[in-house]
Amino acid sequence: MAKTQRVTLKEAASLIKDGDLLTFSGFTIWRRPMALVYELVRQGKKDLHLFEVNGGTHTEVLAGAKCVKIWESCWVGHELYGKLGEMIAREHCDPDSEVVIEDYSHAQVVARLLAGAYGLPFMPTALSMGTDILNPEYDMLKKAGLRDGSNPKIPKNKYVMHHDPFYDMGEVVLIPAVNPNWALIYASMASESGIIRMNSQTYTDPEAIRAADKVIVLAEEIVPDSYMRREPTRNMAAGYMVDYVVECPWGAHPTGSQGFYDVDADFIREFYAASKTDAGYEKWAQEWIFGVADHAEYMEKVGLHNLEKLRANTVLGYSTRMKRGSR
Amino acid sequence: MSNHSEYAKPGEYKPIDLLAVAAAREVNDGDIVFAGTGLPMLAIMLAQQESAPNSVCIYEAGSIDGKPVDLPTSVGDARCAHNAALAAGLTETFYGQLHRGYVDLGFLGGAEIDMYGNINTTIVGDYSNPDKRFTGSGGNPDILSMSRRTVLIMVQEKRRFKKNVDYITSPGWRIKKWPTGEFVPKQEVYGKYFRGGPSAVITNMGVFRFDDEGVMYLDTYHPGFTPEQVKDNCEFDLNISRVSGETVPPTYGELDLLYKVVDPEGIFLP
Repeated sequence: MAKTQRVTLKEAASLIKDGDLLTFSGFTIWRRPMALVYELVRQGKKDLHLFEVNGGTHTEVLAGAKCVKIWESCWVGHELYGKLGEMIAREHCDPDSEVVIEDYSHAQVVARLLAGAYGLPFMPTALSMGTDILNPEYDMLKKAGLRDGSNPKIPKNKYVMHHDPFYDMGEVVLIPAVNPNWALIYASMASESGIIRMNSQTYTDPEAIRAADKVIVLAEEIVPDSYMRREPTRNMAAGYMVDYVVECPWGAHPTGSQGFYDVDADFIREFYAASKTDAGYEKWAQEWIFGVADHAEYMEKVGLHNLEKLRANTVLGYSTRMKRGSR
Repeated sequence: MSNHSEYAKPGEYKPIDLLAVAAAREVNDGDIVFAGTGLPMLAIMLAQQESAPNSVCIYEAGSIDGKPVDLPTSVGDARCAHNAALAAGLTETFYGQLHRGYVDLGFLGGAEIDMYGNINTTIVGDYSNPDKRFTGSGGNPDILSMSRRTVLIMVQEKRRFKKNVDYITSPGWRIKKWPTGEFVPKQEVYGKYFRGGPSAVITNMGVFRFDDEGVMYLDTYHPGFTPEQVKDNCEFDLNISRVSGETVPPTYGELDLLYKVVDPEGIFLP
C-alpha cells in the first residue's frame, strides 16, 4: 500500500510531464485545482492532453498559455461570468491550430470516466444518439492520425455502436474508458493519511480519483485522521488512493468551494475579458501567474478585502455578502 | 395594488418576464424536471412557487430535489444543493436519474434550432473549420434525448431558426442515423429507449409546439406580435395555420414572485 506523500505545490507540479493526460476535479467554475494549474503554467508544461467532463476557467488558463495539445470534453465556459471558452474556441476556429478538439456529450464523457474508474474497458449508453457528436467525419483524433494505437491513452475508436445482445433494447453506444495519467483534485478536506472529503455535490470527483493512474490532491485543509473516520459515509476516497497531498488554503480561487468560499465573479469576468485576445491573455498571465512567485503572493494580490467578501457563511455554505446581480 | 390573478398589460412586463412565465406554465405539478442554467432556473422555481408545488428539480452537477433559498447562478452552485434530498454527482443525475427514466421534463436553451427541434450549441459553419465556436454540448443532448418532454427556450432570430442547423448537438424529432447520416424519426434511432422529445419552444415572440410528424408549428404569439412577424423570423417555412391565439401574459402575482421571491438580486432578470 502506497503511503500518501505530503509535497509542496511546486513539487506537485514538477511531477507532471509534458504530454501527460490530465483530468480535474470540479464542475465548470467550482472546486478546480487552480493553484496547481497556475503552477503548471509557471513551469511551462507543453502538449498536455486534457480529458474533462467539462471545462472551465482552469481550461482556459492552460489553453491560453499554450500548454494544451488535446482537449477532449463537452463544454467550456465561465458560466454567468464569461459565456464562451474563448481560448478553446479560437483554437477550434483557427485552421493553423495544432490543438485537437474532441467533442462528446456530457453523459458520454461521464461514461468514459466511469468505465475508467471501475476498471472496465467501456461503458454502454443510449444517451445522445442521432447527433453530430457521433458523426464519423468529426472524429478529430482519428483525423489527426492519433487513433493508431501508438498512444496507450487514446482509444482506437471514439465510440462503437452495438446491438444489445441481452434484452434486444436495440443499438447502444459503447464509450471507451479513460484512465488519465493524473487526476488533479481540489478537495474540501484531506486527512493526514489522505482520506478525502468534498462538501456538497460530488460532481465527477469520485470517478476522476479512481480512473487516474496517480492522484494529486490540493486540500483546503488537512485534518486529523480520527475526525474523518468518525463519519466515513461523508468521505469520498481512502488514503491509499491518493498519491500526493498539498495543503493549499484558497487553492480553488477564483472558482468556488462549498463551505469555504464563493466563486470570485469579478476576477473571472476580468480574466474572460482578457482572454478574448492572445495579447490580453499574455498581459493577464504576466500579472497573475508570472508576476507572483507563488500561491501566497497570489493571495496577497487578490487581497483580504476581496477574500472576505467571498468567504462562505458557515451555515449556508456560500457567501451572503457579495453583490451577485444588478439589484 | 392590482389583483394578483389579473393579467399585466403590455408595457408593464418585459419580454424576459413573459418567457419565464410561459416556461413555468409548461411544468405539470409533480413533474421531475431536469433544468439548465439561466431562464430554466427561473421557470422551474416560479412553477414551484405557484402552479406546480410538487415538482422536483434536478441539476446535472448533482443536486436532486434541492430547495434553494437563494437563486443559483449555475448548476454547480452550492446554492443548488440547499436542503436537497440528495447531493450527488453526474453519474447519479445522468445515469441514475435521466437514463433510468425518472425525468419528465427537460428545460434547455440553444443557439440554433431547426423545424424538427434539433439543437446546435457547438459551432457555426463547418465543424472541421468553424467560423464560430460556442460552449459545446454540455448536458443539452443527453437531457433532450431522454426526457419525456423538453421545453427549449430560445432567442427568436432568422439566423437561429434555421432550415438546417450547422451541427446537431442535441436530437429533435428527426435525427441522423449513423453511419450514413440519413434523417430518420427519433423513434427509429432510440428504439426501446425512446421516451419523447421536444414538446415546446418558447421565444421572445411566441410559443411553438410539434405536430405528429415532429414538425414545429406556432401555437401562440406574444402580445405585440403577429403570426406573420414570427414566421418572418424563421429561415424555414413555419406552419402558422394552427395558431391558437395570443400568449397569455404574466399575472401581477407571477411578476411579484419573479422579482421578489425567485430573483430578488437581479441575477437573470434586469
